[in-house]
Amino acid sequence: MSRTKVLVADPFAIFRAGVRNLLRRESDFVVVEAGDLSAVQNVVATRCPDIALIDLELPPVGGVAAVQWLNEHCTAHTIAWSFEPTPESVLGAVRAGANGYLRKDIAPEGLIRSVRGVARGEAALSRDLATLMIEAVHRLSDREGTRDRLFALSSRECEILEHLAQGARNRQIASELTISEFTVKRHVQNILGKLELRSRREAGEFYRAANADLAGVGPLQ
Amino acid sequence: MSSTGRRQPLVAVVYSVPLLCEAIASALDDIAEVRTFPGRRDDVVGLLRSVRPDAVVVDDPIESAQIRGWAQNQDLPLVEICLRELKIRVLRDGEWRESTGTSAESIRNAIAGSLYARDPIRS
Repeated sequence: MSRTKVLVADPFAIFRAGVRNLLRRESDFVVVEAGDLSAVQNVVATRCPDIALIDLELPPVGGVAAVQWLNEHCTAHTIAWSFEPTPESVLGAVRAGANGYLRKDIAPEGLIRSVRGVARGEAALSRDLATLMIEAVHRLSDREGTRDRLFALSSRECEILEHLAQGARNRQIASELTISEFTVKRHVQNILGKLELRSRREAGEFYRAANADLAGVGPLQ
Repeated sequence: MSSTGRRQPLVAVVYSVPLLCEAIASALDDIAEVRTFPGRRDDVVGLLRSVRPDAVVVDDPIESAQIRGWAQNQDLPLVEICLRELKIRVLRDGEWRESTGTSAESIRNAIAGSLYARDPIRS
């Protein structure tokens, strides 16, 4: 019988030992271990594993980069895992090429079932993690929509939008930007038209929400 | 023989991560009897009081804090596996001491060391 070679890549030795002891009791698995990415690379240099369980915090650059590296260098099916998955971590791993994502507090029999499933070509993703991933996909598409709408604005319109979000009146904005009140009014109409909003208040709310939503993603313009 | 008449010392493992039990049970196999208990329960100290272990291993910081005072009073070795910090620490003389290494053998050595230091007759 051909046995499934499972690479357990985790910086915590005791955790690797737990997985190793569990899988070695099953006759269909061979286990190899790695504590960081360079150890993963050494394993792959010898023989590509069939399945790689990759800790999200794998040193030195994290599990997502390790999943990506594995996908580029061998045919292993990869499963990322962590203790407290976030929507972004699940989506990030799957986008990097992971065939599944597991919680590290999974029950032993659940891990065995998942590894066998992935060996058969199935995805390893529990219902709650699938929900997290869908949530992340929705957030991503909302962000992209927000970005697209903001990109439609000129830099002057963005400046004025920021003032609107602070509750400034046309006269104040005109004085601040040294332009006429009439020009400000025309810019405000253009902003509302491009963002498909009905009022200055809605424009201010849009700006604040976009700022929060895109925080850490990049500047608004 | 332990104080409760058992042949081997009893180590209670209170866990939130089942896979860790696999490693701990295997590492302590020949020096202790290991009993595992799913953590995050209401009265973990009450449970341990009734089990009367010779040492306790825990992987949850909140439960570790709950157990600490009782373990100290009982003069029991308490080992905490810190999953976030990737380290193992041992409560000795009321102070946490970081274990060298993060392997299952480190836990074995820490527990064996604590048990035998506490009760030299066992050695």
